[in-house]
Amino acid sequence: MPKTKLTIALAGNANVGKSVIFNQLTGLHQHIGNWPGKTVERAEGTLHFKGYTIDIIDLPGIYSLSTYSLEELVSRKYVAVERPDLVINVVDASVLERNLFFTLQLIELETPMIIALNQMDIAKSKGIRIDTRELENLLGIPVMPTVAVKGIGIFELSEKAVEMIENGKKAKPLEVRYGEEVELRIAKITKMVEKIQFWYPPRYVAVKLLEGDEEISREIQRIDPRIASAVEDLAAEIEQFHGHSCPTVITSERYEIAGRIARQVQELVSPTHPPLEERIHNLTTHKILGYPIMVASLLLIFCFIFVFGNFTSELLGNFFHSWESLFTNLFGTGITQKLIWGGVIEGLIAGITVALPYIAPFYIILYILENSGYLSRIAFLMDNAMHKIGLHGKAFIPIMLGFGCNVPACLGCRIMETKRERLLAAFVTTLVPCAARTVIILGLVGQFLGIQWALALYMVNLLVVLFLGRLAFKILPGEPTALIMEMHAYRAPHLKTVLKQTWFRLAEFIKIAFPLIIVGSLTLRIAEVAGLLDPIATVLSPVTVVWLGLPAIAGITLIFGVLRKELTLIMLATFLGTTNFAQVLTPVQMIVFTLVAMFYIPCIATIAALAKEFGWKRALSITIFEIVFAISIGGIALRILTPLI
Amino acid sequence: MGSDAVTQGQELPLTALKDGETGIVVSINPGREGCGRGWGFEKRLMDMGLTPGAEVVVVKSAPFHGPIEVIVRGSRLALGRGMAERIFVVRKKRA
Repeated sequence: MPKTKLTIALAGNANVGKSVIFNQLTGLHQHIGNWPGKTVERAEGTLHFKGYTIDIIDLPGIYSLSTYSLEELVSRKYVAVERPDLVINVVDASVLERNLFFTLQLIELETPMIIALNQMDIAKSKGIRIDTRELENLLGIPVMPTVAVKGIGIFELSEKAVEMIENGKKAKPLEVRYGEEVELRIAKITKMVEKIQFWYPPRYVAVKLLEGDEEISREIQRIDPRIASAVEDLAAEIEQFHGHSCPTVITSERYEIAGRIARQVQELVSPTHPPLEERIHNLTTHKILGYPIMVASLLLIFCFIFVFGNFTSELLGNFFHSWESLFTNLFGTGITQKLIWGGVIEGLIAGITVALPYIAPFYIILYILENSGYLSRIAFLMDNAMHKIGLHGKAFIPIMLGFGCNVPACLGCRIMETKRERLLAAFVTTLVPCAARTVIILGLVGQFLGIQWALALYMVNLLVVLFLGRLAFKILPGEPTALIMEMHAYRAPHLKTVLKQTWFRLAEFIKIAFPLIIVGSLTLRIAEVAGLLDPIATVLSPVTVVWLGLPAIAGITLIFGVLRKELTLIMLATFLGTTNFAQVLTPVQMIVFTLVAMFYIPCIATIAALAKEFGWKRALSITIFEIVFAISIGGIALRILTPLI
Repeated sequence: MGSDAVTQGQELPLTALKDGETGIVVSINPGREGCGRGWGFEKRLMDMGLTPGAEVVVVKSAPFHGPIEVIVRGSRLALGRGMAERIFVVRKKRA
């Protein structure tokens, strides 16, 4: 009986248009989750084609199938162990050699596959002409040219994929052969590996053992230590022969094969376009001009998001709050109703008025920047500055995100290579003044003390980021990584893919943040109804009144600010009975209050994001540290500033 | 693996090349323990195409000892300076 349910995996380097192809194939039938137990994203979708229901898995974009990153390990395990019916290897036609290096590794995994030779348009404009027939012959695998952003070749690709699966294992892919002295030893190891049970093909295991692959070496050592010691001897022989380490020899030879194939199938002609892309690249990475361009672009983006977000947020807030009277008319004003409206619904409104006005546009712009290629240029420019806090250029991307909202920023730290760097970057991003904190800084200090004081606070914030970032870098065990990043050719982003990525991020934000915002909001409302607020204010007064010199009621507003930081300001106005803070607060009080609000805690949604990425223990440690830090810095500021102002 | 092509010339760190110059990779020096071995930077570099024998064009370096931009096997890469200092090349004479 013929199978009607198929599985196809998309694999390839980063930035080759894999997610665009994924979107073209699956349309709206997608969901994004995590690989079980891993913080690696798993995108899955469904394609109905020629009577088949095809499950499409979009594997993470990677450059190799070794085990230095979780993404690579997850992809390799999936292809080798779960055995999809077919792998579509998405290849960037404009960087053929490097992409073929990955293709060769897939071939070595002995997986049934075809190639989508994507970005043919970019290759063409770079003056690269590729003989796809010849490539097909050399690799022994069907090669389908595509321009995914325009939908060109997608139908043919799906047809070919199904045809390949229907025909069974007819295709005979190229055998990846290394130099003679290496092959001899691969054969020896393969023989030994054939005798044991292992989830990768024996020859693949042999090659990977010689390459010093961590996962496979560890497993083989466990299963049969004799093989492991034999490999050691054979690897030493190769090293002696070549004068390079065995992994170097194998990687180089694999690249030589990729290079040979690439040279055989591609012809370089003069580019069809004047190299506009090149000019934009040179300008945006220029030693001097690159920086003002970056600053201007970022300022423009933040101003836009801030103005748009503020406006929409207020509009949405008013809209939802206008239902309150309807609600009380319908259900009355009893305690339960108060809790439902004031706790649950207000929490929901708080969430929505952050998510839609600020986070959605932010992600749209971010993805446009990322897919077009500009983010990697920013990372290039900022690499040096990020080294001051022990991180490299890529870390600037989540930090930049943090100015909008800390939640996506924490999740964005996944682009860092190691766990240590992710944690370090996430810690720093929680200190970055997000849009809500900007509301406080500008709305209180900026408005009543003047913009110079607001700017001074931003400077203090920057110094704190530098200082604490550096401190954390020194304290956290482990070693720093460095920037190794591809800067792919600038290109127009695919709008549908951008919107879809935004939608998934927004859904993720809602899933992480909303439950905690609602629970938090309900808890606070219960405390209020139970008349606990005044006692709490009294309990906190040694800190708020004595140490920080603030009105006792500030303690309550700071507690509410955990839900959403700008609530501190809104509630302060409510409690003090005026929005003209100059009447009720001294300038020093305003500065101290703002300082504390800036640092005292990541908001509840950020805590949730931290917990999701790093576990509750780390999330709470960061939270507690920041509370203590904020209270200390607030009290110190009070004592320094009082004699001055 | 092309290592025979690089017998002449002096071995230099990649960062010693001027903008626009081409080098041929001789070796990557992983350095002492704790200098990048833990996250396998040597393997990562090689996976991106920086294997012995590969041609590297230095496009430019970012100011204040920032990263350098290179072209390797048709792809444009940004490499942190500290790491680029441990990639050894011989200068290729312009034809």
